[in-house]
Amino acid sequence: MKTKIATITRNKKGQPVSAEQAVAAETLRIGRGADCKLHLSDPRIALHHAEIICGVDGVSYIEARGGTVSVDGRPERAATLGPGQRIHVGPFEIVVLPAQNDVDLALSVELIDPLKDDLAEVQSHVQAGLRSTWLSKRSLSWLVAGAVFLIFLAWPVMNALDRGHGKEVAKMGLTADASWDVGPLSSAHASFGSNCSSCHQQPFVHVTNAACEDCHKKIGWHFALETKEAKALHTGVFGDTRCSSCHRDHKGPMGLVRSDSPLCTDCHQNLKSRHPQTGVADVAEFAKEHPPFKVSMLLPGKTGAAAIVRVPQDDKTRFVEASGLKFPHDVHLNPKGLRGPNGTALMECKNCHVPDETGTRFKPVTMGEHCQSCHSLEFEPKSTTRQVPHGKIADVIATVQEHYAQVALADTPIDVVLEDGVKRPGQRVGDIKREAALKWAGTKADKITQELFEVRVCFECHQIKRGEVGTEPAAQWQIAPIAVTQHWLPKSRFPHSRHGTYKCESCHAVAKSKKSADIAIPDIKNCRECHGGNVTSKDKAPGTCETCHGFHTGSPKSGVPPMVPGGNQPKLLPKTAATSSFQPAQLALQTPNTAGGAPQ
Amino acid sequence: MRHRTVLEYRDYRYLKFAVFVVLAVIFAYGWYKYPLGHYGGTPLGYTLGTIAALLIVWLMWLGVQKRRYRKTGDIKGWVSAHIYLGTSLVVTATLHAAFQVGWNVHTLAYVLMMLVIVSGFFGVYTYLRYPALMTENLGEDTLEGLVLKIADIDREARRSALGMSDDVNRAVLASVQKTRIGGGVYAQLRARVSACPTAAAVKLVKTLATTVKGEAARQHQELYSLLLRKERLVACARTDIRFKAIMDIWLYFHVPLSIALLAALVAHVIAVFFYW
Repeated sequence: MKTKIATITRNKKGQPVSAEQAVAAETLRIGRGADCKLHLSDPRIALHHAEIICGVDGVSYIEARGGTVSVDGRPERAATLGPGQRIHVGPFEIVVLPAQNDVDLALSVELIDPLKDDLAEVQSHVQAGLRSTWLSKRSLSWLVAGAVFLIFLAWPVMNALDRGHGKEVAKMGLTADASWDVGPLSSAHASFGSNCSSCHQQPFVHVTNAACEDCHKKIGWHFALETKEAKALHTGVFGDTRCSSCHRDHKGPMGLVRSDSPLCTDCHQNLKSRHPQTGVADVAEFAKEHPPFKVSMLLPGKTGAAAIVRVPQDDKTRFVEASGLKFPHDVHLNPKGLRGPNGTALMECKNCHVPDETGTRFKPVTMGEHCQSCHSLEFEPKSTTRQVPHGKIADVIATVQEHYAQVALADTPIDVVLEDGVKRPGQRVGDIKREAALKWAGTKADKITQELFEVRVCFECHQIKRGEVGTEPAAQWQIAPIAVTQHWLPKSRFPHSRHGTYKCESCHAVAKSKKSADIAIPDIKNCRECHGGNVTSKDKAPGTCETCHGFHTGSPKSGVPPMVPGGNQPKLLPKTAATSSFQPAQLALQTPNTAGGAPQ
Repeated sequence: MRHRTVLEYRDYRYLKFAVFVVLAVIFAYGWYKYPLGHYGGTPLGYTLGTIAALLIVWLMWLGVQKRRYRKTGDIKGWVSAHIYLGTSLVVTATLHAAFQVGWNVHTLAYVLMMLVIVSGFFGVYTYLRYPALMTENLGEDTLEGLVLKIADIDREARRSALGMSDDVNRAVLASVQKTRIGGGVYAQLRARVSACPTAAAVKLVKTLATTVKGEAARQHQELYSLLLRKERLVACARTDIRFKAIMDIWLYFHVPLSIALLAALVAHVIAVFFYW
């Protein structure tokens, strides 16, 4: 087979340049190999890529060998060749030319897909530097900072400026300004939840005192502000101090109230040098530098502020109670028991001292509830269970007189009864007989009344002295006014309920007390056995100022000034019949000058 | 003279300054007593917060500074101060926050700041470690030089493979056309390619070289040494790209995180004073 091969190349202008050669071979080998008649030098061509064979019928056909061949765009293993066919062998295009006289087959060959330049090839596979990748510092920055800005600034601000905004989102449990919360609210304010504007009423303005006082209407000043001097002192000391200067919220459940001792001792350790007129002793700390306790004691026969006297426990002459009652604790707490209406009974503290609802202190001891079951007011127990009233002397006398008059007159009928037993209506018993009966009754009543006031029943508990002779019956005796102090240490808060593991007598030495004048309030040494000072220690309970004292103990803006926040001040019991000036024998009290409302 | 790093700049001038700042801050924190304890809102807390915020803004100014044509002062000095004062922020900001953390924007700002600082530490580490490794890897050469050499080898290998078996020829062609150097973020950082066509070609030619004799054996031997050289050059190029990527990648954390920090810082300050 004689074949003419026209190899086409392109000049610089891209025009084809043809170089022809004639090849005579039965089989025209196409390939990269040196033995190939149609030598295609390209790495993409196999050594022996294909063959063109001339058949016995003179028809030529191509057959793929080491490589692939496509004819007119279709991959073929073998195909018959005809004029105009375009055969692709690797990057080469072989076109079958029209038959020519002197050859069996005419082909044109052109490299239509040349290899890239080697350098360009390598460079096209090199990708260096992170800039050449999708990473972009600018995009990442915008993305992250934008998200932070929107979620943590724009959204909360929009929400704060327009409270209605984001309600739907809030329903899902997401709150715009939750991310601004610097810490958990105090337990008292926890119910505000995410309602920040309850306290933070204006943007960029401190939480105002007014915001606090919306709820805390009755909070007291540090001391009573009844006088000009006290007001001036308060202004001088506290000036523009805001509530939130001390009460910082968002510090956890217990964080709202300051309990550090410097809150108090910053001023109180040198109070006398700061304010010489003060009646309050200097205090640096509890363990060593706290003065003896001062009790607030009720004075008998006084009213208002003058009825309360402050007595230091180490003032032995004044530290005696003038309750107007006789009450020997030792008798009542006799370990062998006491004779009672139902036989012998062993009395305990709790029989009379019943804790109040708060468990902090005790309910008042009353005659009716705590005494009368044993200390009956029966005045003639042999003949009647009737009792004299626990109240005015006149009522007692009247009750006794009434009883005996009734007894006397019961045997002396009003109507005249004849000897034969026939009554004569309208005819009255003679005055002499009635007078005799009433005289007996009066004498008997006087005797019994005197017994009640001077020997038994009333005299058993009350301090009573004889009045002026010849005056009206009610003035014949003077009962000492009753002044039972309910809360001895009103400036401290002592929760009895939190000391329930201790026995009463471990603090209150009453077992051997024979007189009601004894005051069984424990002194500071007793407290110091368990409570340490400002510095926390392993073996002692805390003893900071705040352990016992409050700050807002002065008068509030409205209402009655409490002596302690929410606490009881000594209450005056209802006065007895005696409005006399009689003072209990043991007392000679002096009331310190408390004028001016200065802190005590 | 030994090369002095940015850390040693002017005899550790900024290290000394930063140590002074840190000690002063620690001393103030220990000395200062506030009745309610330490927190960001005490006078000391505000002071430390202001110092920290100003420092952050100043440190970010370095980013702007680097992009300016007209340099203010010595850029090395700026970087040295940036590193040391940036590190001092760990103490200043922690004591400003008084060790209090929560799920809020305030802690977010703190965490972002710490991430920025940690990424910065990595940056310092790369600047200290990788330039030497890069020199060790490339010597006097450059990546461009390597590419040129690889192209030369390709040309030669291709030519010599033309006369060899189809397998060899195909392997060489694949090596030329499919050997990737660098690539995406992961490829650049990893450097090792599990199915590298060049490595495959080396392996193939080495195997075939033992099966042929005479001229063919010599051809295989030559091609083998060519491909081996290429393989080494490609590995060097990939390693070079890896080192550069490592020296760069931390900035893709450091910069966006610091911009996010700036946003969180603004939100933090506004949040604090909005609800004062």
